[in-house]
Amino acid sequence: MTDCPNGEVRDALPDYLNDRLDTARRREVESHLAGCDACREELALLRTLRVTMRRAPAVNVEAIAAAIPAYRAPVRRGWSTGWRVAAAVAALAVGGTSIALLRARTSDKPVDVSPYVIGVRTPRPDPAPAAAPPSTRAVEAPTRPAPVAAPIQPVAARELAMASGSIGELSDAELSALVDDIESLDALPTADVEGAEPVSVAAPEGI
Amino acid sequence: MTHVAPTTDERTDLDLVARWKAGEQRAATLLVERHASALARFLASIGARADVDEVVQDTFVRAFASIDGFRGESSLRTWLFTIARRLVLDRRRAARRRGEHVEVQEGDVATEYDALDGVVAAETRERMRGAMAALTPTQREVFVLRVNEGMSYREIAEAVDTTEGAARVHYHNAMRAIKEYLDD
Repeated sequence: MTDCPNGEVRDALPDYLNDRLDTARRREVESHLAGCDACREELALLRTLRVTMRRAPAVNVEAIAAAIPAYRAPVRRGWSTGWRVAAAVAALAVGGTSIALLRARTSDKPVDVSPYVIGVRTPRPDPAPAAAPPSTRAVEAPTRPAPVAAPIQPVAARELAMASGSIGELSDAELSALVDDIESLDALPTADVEGAEPVSVAAPEGI
Repeated sequence: MTHVAPTTDERTDLDLVARWKAGEQRAATLLVERHASALARFLASIGARADVDEVVQDTFVRAFASIDGFRGESSLRTWLFTIARRLVLDRRRAARRRGEHVEVQEGDVATEYDALDGVVAAETRERMRGAMAALTPTQREVFVLRVNEGMSYREIAEAVDTTEGAARVHYHNAMRAIKEYLDD
């Protein structure tokens, strides 16, 4: 089986076969085919191969169509809304930090920063608080005597230590209780991204 | 230079997409009826045998779920072929990670090419099957899209993630290999 030297026509044969040529180009190809045995042979071969390959495995059209959900238009958030949200978050972050710092400078009392710390758990009853007296160094104010009659609850001490970064000052018992606290935290659920449905978030009214 | 005219089907595809987006679920069914067989044929040609039905369904579900990402720069069919091919590759990668054997068997691919009964003689059919099976996977992929689906090189390049020039070379190499096989 020989090859025609006219590459452009050979290139166009599959398009001719599939009726994808415009009228002018189609006439050019047909004119060439009339005088070229090699291209006629190649076209006949393509036609045979196409018929041979034509049959497709059966598919259940109804089931496939039934699996397609109704169209849901995407909700687009305007750029101004996005900037407003970003500005609000920034203002809250800067403002909250400033208040915490201001309180720390103007007060001679120990600063409990736990309310400002995201993720610190609220105190809960400790089953054995007296087993090991907690260290109070982390919360002692320099101008006051150490509190003896009312020791700080271990959980509060742990939270304060976590917040202020003085975890190294905790006793062994406090560290052990802290580890227990961490271990008792709930794990995040795993996310099945593959099967997740797109979530439509409605824009707030008036924005 | 090849002049490829947009088909009536391509224009109608966009109309059907618009109708589906307007709430006409029947339009989606018409699109499935129009393209499911071609997708199944293509998937079989690249060796996705057992799960053709599943991959075709997955292709349509994903395509319709992200229809707003379809800009109409290519035909809807080309876009569907692109999605289908990526799904097959993803499945093969996942199977490899699970330690499953996923090598495509050339003989298995060839058996998907069943002739229309009575149109092509059995002997010719066997020779054509053998010729197709002798191609490399990429040559076969390109050749099927070019000859069977009538795609342009630009559309093939998009569907199989290659360049237009490379698609043209793969097609002509495939054509030469088929002729050599049949001449032997």
